[in-house]
Amino acid sequence: MNEPVVQQALRDSVDEVLDKMFFVQALGESPDPGLAAMEPPAAIAVRLTFLGEPSGSLALRLTSTAARSIAADFLGTDEEEVSDPRMADVVCELANMICGSLLSRVENAATFQLAAPRIVPLSEGPAQEPGATFYAVDLPKGSLAVSVNTGTPPCPAPIQSVS
Amino acid sequence: MAYRVLIVDDSPAMRAFVRRVIELSGFELSHCFEASNGREALDLLRTEWVDTILTDINMPGMDGQEFLRRLSEDELLRSIPALVISTDATAHRMASMASLGARGYVTKPFLPETLRAELERTLGVPCE
Repeated sequence: MNEPVVQQALRDSVDEVLDKMFFVQALGESPDPGLAAMEPPAAIAVRLTFLGEPSGSLALRLTSTAARSIAADFLGTDEEEVSDPRMADVVCELANMICGSLLSRVENAATFQLAAPRIVPLSEGPAQEPGATFYAVDLPKGSLAVSVNTGTPPCPAPIQSVS
Repeated sequence: MAYRVLIVDDSPAMRAFVRRVIELSGFELSHCFEASNGREALDLLRTEWVDTILTDINMPGMDGQEFLRRLSEDELLRSIPALVISTDATAHRMASMASLGARGYVTKPFLPETLRAELERTLGVPCE
């Protein structure tokens, strides 16, 4: 995939998903939100793999304060009522939507299969490394970072559905 | 008219979100059933009638594509209008789901009014 195209598609996907489904406006791109130095439960990380042309993986890391806030908005409830499992479910869905939106933008004529997103240790979250497309934004209550790698995913998860 | 709706998605949060969007958009629901995959949905449809089905594609157990295929093979169930809600916005996927009988398709992310409009079109009701 063309790097500048993927970078722009990742930005557009993150911004659109946050806006339309989670009613959150990104406050601006953040070169290094410091998420990499966070320890749980200050942040939560999700990873999912995808098969197609190309195959790869998407990783997402979100500060827990932002995760709980967007989960509450998504579910239409108060933050205090959002359980940890429900928050994790919402963050997984966030990653799923960003990945699907990204892949549909960059390879609309291709077919893809997304594996189920899974919560992972923060060390397996997004990283600014060679070959990865990285995007981080500040949110009203924290920060979000997403990275996409194409090629053989480092920790492939089983594909749960095959079309 | 109050509608009986079935929402099929492996994410409980997504099911809750879709239900909330439908309710907030003014659709009157008499019943809102939920299933986490196509298999559960088919089991539910053995005993419950619904006016429309909103289904994801990527689900463990039985995905949305197989679910629609099973619906299309059933003389009674094929008459229930189905709307797909999916992250997959590729032309190939949209065409394949339409060929299996899906009457509507909404890609995530979506605005609430988009889901409402597509639901009205799928049900054949006029927009207010």
